[in-house]
Amino acid sequence: MVTTLSAVSPGVAVEITAVPDPTARAKLLRLGFLDGPVECRRRLRKGPVVLRRHGTELAIGAPLADRIEVTPP
Amino acid sequence: MHDHHAAPVGDVNGPTVALAGAPNVGKSVLFNRLAETYADVSNYPGTTLDTSVARWGDGLLVDAPGVYGVSDFNEEERIARDVILAADVVCNVVDATRLDRDLFLTLQLLDLGRPTLVVLNLVDEAERDGITIDVDELEQRLGVPVVPTVAVTGRGVADVERRLVEATAPAETPVARWFDHLPADLAATRAERVLLVEADRPTAERLLDGPVAVADGGVATGSGLRDAVYADRRRRIGELTRAVVSTADRPRTLADVASDLLMRPLTGTPLVLLTLGLVYLVIGNLVAQRLVDFLEVVVFGRYYVPFVRTAVTSTLPTGGPFGFVSFLLVNGNLGLLTVTVQYVLAVLLPLVLAFYLVIGLLEDSGVLPRLAVLADRGLTHLGLNGRAVVPLIVGVGCVTMAVITTRMVGSRRERLIATALLGLAIPCSAQLGVILGLLAGLGLAWWFAYLAVIVTVFGVAGVFLDAVLPGESEALIAELPRLRVPRPGNLLRKTVGRTRMFLLEAGPLFAVTAVGVSSLDYVGGLDLLVRGLAPLSRLVGLPPSFGRVLVLGVVRRDFAAAGMTALALTPGQTFVGLVVVTLFVPCILSMVVIAEERDVRTGVVMWLGSWLVAFAVGAVLAAVVL
Repeated sequence: MVTTLSAVSPGVAVEITAVPDPTARAKLLRLGFLDGPVECRRRLRKGPVVLRRHGTELAIGAPLADRIEVTPP
Repeated sequence: MHDHHAAPVGDVNGPTVALAGAPNVGKSVLFNRLAETYADVSNYPGTTLDTSVARWGDGLLVDAPGVYGVSDFNEEERIARDVILAADVVCNVVDATRLDRDLFLTLQLLDLGRPTLVVLNLVDEAERDGITIDVDELEQRLGVPVVPTVAVTGRGVADVERRLVEATAPAETPVARWFDHLPADLAATRAERVLLVEADRPTAERLLDGPVAVADGGVATGSGLRDAVYADRRRRIGELTRAVVSTADRPRTLADVASDLLMRPLTGTPLVLLTLGLVYLVIGNLVAQRLVDFLEVVVFGRYYVPFVRTAVTSTLPTGGPFGFVSFLLVNGNLGLLTVTVQYVLAVLLPLVLAFYLVIGLLEDSGVLPRLAVLADRGLTHLGLNGRAVVPLIVGVGCVTMAVITTRMVGSRRERLIATALLGLAIPCSAQLGVILGLLAGLGLAWWFAYLAVIVTVFGVAGVFLDAVLPGESEALIAELPRLRVPRPGNLLRKTVGRTRMFLLEAGPLFAVTAVGVSSLDYVGGLDLLVRGLAPLSRLVGLPPSFGRVLVLGVVRRDFAAAGMTALALTPGQTFVGLVVVTLFVPCILSMVVIAEERDVRTGVVMWLGSWLVAFAVGAVLAAVVL
């Protein structure tokens, strides 16, 4: 079963496996969010997801988070 | 030098040094320390983004927009790419507490072969965070000078100046292995090759017949190749940081607590509303109401305008063309020397200054992206993302300024939707005061009805545009920088620079439209328009004199609202009239700026759309209420 980023609970670490949009993928890749495990810091209800990796925090809007696939690290 | 990239300024003898780095790393602080003299904040040629350029020795210092890398993704990165490629030396400012993030741009610069010096800024914060960086090792591995600094205190800045001559780039970097994917006979510089393998569209269009297409071990398209290049760069960063950075645990700081509070909608939304409320109190009341009133009524009303009027009418001979000129200069609606000057200096200037101050504050403190996160959920229903919250907030102050602020919104589609909503349903502060006053006189029920109608139109328009416009809006991807207290000097410099630019853009535009409208008025055109609008006034249940309110409103929004008070209307009529006035076309200055920022055709469509919506909604309300 495929889990999407928007389904991840705060405090849980995941690895991002697929980002369907090439530009979004490049942006995430560039910031290091596809390098390894990322921590879900916060998830606003039906809203953006806030991830953290190595001190960098990134907010991802719900429409995109719904399409990003993740797995446990 | 690449001649297809415009250099910031023409004839200069010395080298051009570009400052490049991520947002909020202290680039501007460094820029101001290095430049010392007042820098000219101007638009990078052919763009609408503000970039600072200063003369430095015999050369130039250019502050590129804050970016995480150079690419084709948005306007900032495209400009940064051009600035970086056109410069002789790149001063790459990185955040010592975010090396993992910032080294991407650094390695990209080296791949591009740009002579680079790395400024390792914020070393004081790194120390506080328990981060230790082996600077010598980093310098060794990168092959370029690395200078630790604390830009805000000036520590290390002298070393930067001293070592700029050492800026260099390795002769070859690992990115070269992807050059095999490019046609063998391709005539391109090293930088261009790197841009090509990274799927930079403009470069590909210029040098090849299209994007680089490869069929080799899973890397099947241009973006696939880019992913591979990026992934390899990330791998190199990993190696570097493992060798050079060591981190100790640190306790939670006040900034962490504040950030958490802001991000939980339960605490965040009230905090933001409180802050915005305070902001509106200061701007809306202190500035918009009191300062502007003082300037308009006392400084201009009592001294400047009568003085200029008598000066002009007494020096110009009467009759014939001079009558026309005199009218253009001092007429009561849009006299070039009287009302126009008054509007720009007494109304626009304080408002714009105040709003740029607030935006700068939100940017420098790190609150802005957090605001975008809170607003994102609601705005996605309208085809926008969280970033659009800023122009929408600014719009309640001044729609003209908000349209300019839409530059910071992501894609073209979203800028379009945001602009349309601004023009249609956001009442600017000029009219808001009068509208609220009139509504208060009518009673709370009418107040809520007004709010309900405007918000509904706003929402419906947004949903409609999102459904009808082709394409999809960009989802929010925003880094949340550390919260920090903004530096007043930096903030003021930025604010003054931006305000100056706004006035230089808006001033002449307004003058030209003032002359145009005054000319029309002189030949009785405005009265003709008012008569022509009578049937529409009837449609919404209002007397023919309402037409004058609308026509004046085209000139200045507050004239429309004020005009309403002069009419004798029933509460129901006032309600309908105010809704129509709010939804009606924005002031002529806004329209001109909209035509400039988007394009003339879009401007015209939006203008017609406002007419349609304003009178359609007005007619429906009139039928229901009157």
